[in-house]
Amino acid sequence: MRTSLGKKTIIHLVLAVLSVMNIIPIIWMVVSSFKSEEDYAINPLGLPKLWKLSNYASAWKVAHLGTYFWNSVIVTVGAIVLTVLLGALTSYFLSRFHFRLRGWLYGLFIIGMTIPIHATLVPIFIIMKKIGLLNSHLSLVLPYTAFHLSITIFILVGFMQAFPKDIEESAVMDGAGLYRIFWSIILPMTRPALATVIIINFIYNWNEFLFALVLINKAALKTLPLGLANFAGTETRFQTLQMAALSMALIPLVAFYLAMEKQLVQGMTAGAVKG
Amino acid sequence: MNITKRMGLTIFVGMLPALIIYMGIAMLPVAMSFYYSFFNWNGLSHMSFIGLDNYVSVLKDGIFWKGVKNNLFMMLSGILGQLPVGLFFAVILNRSLRGLKLYRSVLFMPVIISAVIVSLIWNMVYGTESGLLNNVLGLVGLDSWKHNWLGAPQWGMLSVSITYLWQNYGFYMVIFLAGLQNIPEEIREAAVMDGATGWKRFWLITLPMLKETIWVTLIFSISNSFRIFDLIYVMTAGGPAHNTEVMTIYMYTQAFNNSDFGLGSSVSILILLFSLIAIYAAKFITRRNG
Repeated sequence: MRTSLGKKTIIHLVLAVLSVMNIIPIIWMVVSSFKSEEDYAINPLGLPKLWKLSNYASAWKVAHLGTYFWNSVIVTVGAIVLTVLLGALTSYFLSRFHFRLRGWLYGLFIIGMTIPIHATLVPIFIIMKKIGLLNSHLSLVLPYTAFHLSITIFILVGFMQAFPKDIEESAVMDGAGLYRIFWSIILPMTRPALATVIIINFIYNWNEFLFALVLINKAALKTLPLGLANFAGTETRFQTLQMAALSMALIPLVAFYLAMEKQLVQGMTAGAVKG
Repeated sequence: MNITKRMGLTIFVGMLPALIIYMGIAMLPVAMSFYYSFFNWNGLSHMSFIGLDNYVSVLKDGIFWKGVKNNLFMMLSGILGQLPVGLFFAVILNRSLRGLKLYRSVLFMPVIISAVIVSLIWNMVYGTESGLLNNVLGLVGLDSWKHNWLGAPQWGMLSVSITYLWQNYGFYMVIFLAGLQNIPEEIREAAVMDGATGWKRFWLITLPMLKETIWVTLIFSISNSFRIFDLIYVMTAGGPAHNTEVMTIYMYTQAFNNSDFGLGSSVSILILLFSLIAIYAAKFITRRNG
């Protein structure tokens, strides 16, 4: 259907205004992060009198952003590798083979999506304490993996089910083992769905806060969200430093989003759109 | 593929690591929470069985009910805020015009930002002295509208729910967009031929065709509202004076600040129950109407 020029203009105008309004809080924060503390107090809305780049250097140091970034990278990547590897292998078995408990097992894995993590928080804290993992990267990697296996398996099974039936049959005839088939035939074919799954796991793990809050209390092990929340709680006097720290945490996230937007949007809404 | 006995064993071994992690860290703890909820226990002491006492004291605690009330407020703000706003943008964006993708990107962006960063940004927006909101109000001459947005009893929950709206409507926008794109073009064209105007088309064609999508978003919105934690913990920590308390905050405080693991567990079971009831009620209505 064709849209008239007048209507087109109105639509663009409305959307442009609302989009800008939508990100004004972010723009305002990034602009203010270059102000001196006095400048921000006197003139919170305008542009900085002097663009104080040194806020960024001091925020990086005072807020220990380097440490937090590094912890977030370790935990996020560790959990992604574990989740995607185990999830893909499980999805391969659940989607390509017929066995008695298959439907039941699939249901068991999927039900995890409906469990609020709060219902597991106390026991996970106790378990981690008992096996001596409190205050370790692994104490976050394990819950992140456990709770994101569901969506990972949901997406991967949906994708692998669509492959033609006879793919592995001829390979089995040739004497290839199941793991060989998984590694050299199924996994390469699953690449687009793997990309989606890796990307959404990245965003979920990178942003996670509650498990980190409960399982980590050593400053040297804190992830970025936990570290930022702490920094903001203690450094209330220096708002502009806080803003600089937040901007630095925000920039890589937004860049990642703009680069991976299609898969991110698809993956994050997969449960809702298909289910 | 049909499998032999030996393959069966291979499959079992291959799924075992995922099953152990998933069962041990996601499923078993739910049962453990249920078990703990019948004990008086601070994590170190001897566990002593006290039957339903934890549940009784939770249900007698006015602060818990304050949390329930605020959770219901968040639920309603999700249903009446996030869904209509998401649908509004989806309807505008659902046409083949050049440049619309950019708007979609901008509007969805808050969804991928961590709730902690979102909350810290909005804490500053709501700041009483140098905050964006109060200063903009001052700029346009509405000084009497300036408030302590997060601290005042009558504004706290509303302010938090606006941040919640800002962060999440983009998610529903995308789901609605997918739903709108599934409506066949012929139906729209037929409606136009019959002379249906914009609003009429929306009420009589678009909305009924979206029924299924609306139910899905409703279930998501409801179940998310019971899980809200990060946003409120970072913005107000449930305060001041429990003004913005929600069930998850109450649970966290009881278990990890007061070291009452039994009581905390009973609250976490109640949260699970509340959210399951809400989800299944919505599903039940869907099935009856669908």
